[in-house]
Amino acid sequence: MGDDFKWPYFFNYPPYFTLQPVKDTRDKQIQLWKELILKYCKHNKIFFIHLEDDIPLFFNASIDRKLTYEARQLFVGALVSEGRAEWMDKAHRKCLVHWRKVQDWAEVILQFARDNGMEDGVMTIDEIRLGDETRGTDLAGIDKVVLIRALKLLEQRGKVAMFKGKSEDDEGVKFSAQL
Amino acid sequence: MRRRPGVAGLQSEAVLRGQYKALGENVARIRMDLMKDQLSTFRNQLEDFARKHKNDIKKNPVFRAQFHSMCATCGVDPLASNKGFWAELLGIGDFYYELGVQIVDICLATRSHNGGLIDLGELCSLLSKKRRALREPISEDDCRRAISKLEILGSGFEVFTIGKKKMVRSVPTELNKDHNHILEIAQARGYVTIEDVENELNWPSGRAVDSLELLLKEGLAMVDDGHSDGKRRYWFPCIGSMSSDAIDAESEYNL
Repeated sequence: MGDDFKWPYFFNYPPYFTLQPVKDTRDKQIQLWKELILKYCKHNKIFFIHLEDDIPLFFNASIDRKLTYEARQLFVGALVSEGRAEWMDKAHRKCLVHWRKVQDWAEVILQFARDNGMEDGVMTIDEIRLGDETRGTDLAGIDKVVLIRALKLLEQRGKVAMFKGKSEDDEGVKFSAQL
Repeated sequence: MRRRPGVAGLQSEAVLRGQYKALGENVARIRMDLMKDQLSTFRNQLEDFARKHKNDIKKNPVFRAQFHSMCATCGVDPLASNKGFWAELLGIGDFYYELGVQIVDICLATRSHNGGLIDLGELCSLLSKKRRALREPISEDDCRRAISKLEILGSGFEVFTIGKKKMVRSVPTELNKDHNHILEIAQARGYVTIEDVENELNWPSGRAVDSLELLLKEGLAMVDDGHSDGKRRYWFPCIGSMSSDAIDAESEYNL
């Protein structure tokens, strides 16, 4: 994963790994990192990041620079304040990155259902995430938490009805006849 | 011959002086006319030349630079006005105004990255990239001419030399000698440490720190504390070829 990811110019420029003391420069730095985090997660379909892990996003071996924990928290925190990410714990160690907004996911689901004639059809959560039908589409590999939120949004709009089966595996949705 | 005394002698001397003067004026006038003649011939020929080599002037940057220096020798400035023969014939005024506008664009686009200081070569290659579709190569000479037109606007555009490099400044920051020295040292690796500056220039420690602090504040430098030796490095984005990538990034980074 991520072999063909095109790292931006600043990822190879050492000072971008140190929090800049001058405000204007720091603002620019935060902006660039926010964009990179979203882009990287989108490219690799990463939904959760653990700030303590030295994932390639935080660590550039070729120039031997690593983002400090403080910097990671600041950059991700900036995404959180814009609603593009969400802390999953109080200590701010783990976060969910919304590289695609929940309402946009809802649209993707709707479009998939329309394209595949799913009107009045039924799919389980796991089928959407891991099944053959969605293989090769954007929906393949979608995180469960995100998927359920998007489906709930569609449920509010009357596009799907969610149901619970006997076991958790049977959880699923029924698409409306009118998509 | 024995000089005759008396009024007649004085009178003839005055007449003689008058004649000399008239002759002198005559010679001067003839010379002047000749010069004017030559100059106008030269001008005509220059215009003929320009007309004949219009395409070369437009397409070939080396030729264009030589043409400019030829014009300068005989006191013709094809850029002086956008009206008149030169502009009509070559559209050369428009050409440089256009370059000027594009240079301002580039400087603004890269300012947040490099603090308003950019290498002339770098600027030139960005400009060529921007004008790729036009297929008219641009030389550094063209860049400098266009920038010299911008200087007139008093917008703080200026070309200056640091070490071996020509830099273009697009912010009104006044850099003093100390800053220039630091930038010069940084050209070797793209960064300096406080130690580098002190050793290289034999400065007391306060002086280096003060200068570096100002460069930081102006957005011309960035700190880097990530090296394993623990020494703080001061990087200068205006040195090196980061700017062109920065522009690419800005155009493609719209999530």
